[in-house]
Amino acid sequence: MLTREDMEHDILRAANGDRAAFRALYDATAPKLLGVCLRVLHDRAEAEDVLQEIYVKIWHNAGRYSANGLSPMTWLITIARNSAVDRLRKRRRAGASDALDERIADGGAGPEAQAVAASERRRLDTCMEELPADRAEAVRRAYLDGETYADLAARFDVPLNTMRTWLRRSLLKLRECLSR
Amino acid sequence: MSDRDQPEKDEDHILAGEYALGLLSSKDAAAFEARMVRDPDLRAAYAQWAADFAAMTEDIAPQTPPARVWQRLEAELFPDTRRPGWPRRLALWGGGLVAAVVLVLIVFLPDLVERGPVLPVDPPYVAQIAAEDGSLIVQAIYDDATGTLFVDREAGGAAPGRALELWLIAGEDAPVSLGVMPQDTQAILAVPDDLRGRVAGAVLAISDEPAGGSPTGAPTGEVLATGAVRDS
Repeated sequence: MLTREDMEHDILRAANGDRAAFRALYDATAPKLLGVCLRVLHDRAEAEDVLQEIYVKIWHNAGRYSANGLSPMTWLITIARNSAVDRLRKRRRAGASDALDERIADGGAGPEAQAVAASERRRLDTCMEELPADRAEAVRRAYLDGETYADLAARFDVPLNTMRTWLRRSLLKLRECLSR
Repeated sequence: MSDRDQPEKDEDHILAGEYALGLLSSKDAAAFEARMVRDPDLRAAYAQWAADFAAMTEDIAPQTPPARVWQRLEAELFPDTRRPGWPRRLALWGGGLVAAVVLVLIVFLPDLVERGPVLPVDPPYVAQIAAEDGSLIVQAIYDDATGTLFVDREAGGAAPGRALELWLIAGEDAPVSLGVMPQDTQAILAVPDDLRGRVAGAVLAISDEPAGGSPTGAPTGEVLATGAVRDS
């Protein structure tokens, strides 16, 4: 695994057109990003397709990386998650709801519910636990399943504005907790 | 953020979280992005959420992507990667002094077209002119006594409406055309008298050219394959 410094170095070199550095970055990070795409999309072919899009974006945006204030892994995961969610929402708009139904059926007890050791995750989990369970679930579903306010309102059977108020309050509580 | 009051700060944290989760309408998201460009505190608020939410992916198991993902990515981003290392040198030479125009006669002996060219017996020189990815492979056999170059195209061919042109690169000289490769997979090309002694140790290259061959006397298209001429 590359260190944070290695990764920043590779991103910088990729920004200058260094293909070998870009390849090294791909080799080190593509498995993780494919895992993220699969978690969001639950479809291998689509996840691979999005993975390709993701690295095209990384190649073209590497020059702007240093300005965004994110750690390299956060930057890469954010691009991956956002790209996968974009694809998922396109698919939902196209009316293919089978995969979505499947996800609803699995009740969110996906791999993310498994025991974790990493401290970042523990910190987030601790703060998520301070929220009522359904509110924490809503935040998780928004991030990992790309659910919109409308999706969440339907899921929790509340008016859209209520959902929005809940979630905004949850975000404020989370921020307070995470800043402690 | 010290010059802002608390409710305003709170609202920005909430907005940044909604933005990070992709919950804002496209209009609100665009407005947030525009503000973020000018407001470092807002950028910091977003960066914090991005890192915090990314922690949700920490226990997602990595999945090694199949090789085809990188291959497709490479083909999309670097369509020139399949090109051998020659084009730049050839382009330099081609752009420099235009070589003396050498008329090369491609000999199709009528009877050979019927039964195919006959391989020279015990030829002194051979070359494999091949693309790095194997998409074009031409075996060449050269007899310096007669100036006969026998070519056998084992793989690949000209793109529709295009031609493959064979070049002789001797030492640091500019490439000299040996003619357009015939449609047939096997053919005999006659090397002009003044070039006969220069083929041994030279490099043969094949470029992609307009139908009929390069209009300039130097390679104009992509160099698809190269190979050194060596003793057999």
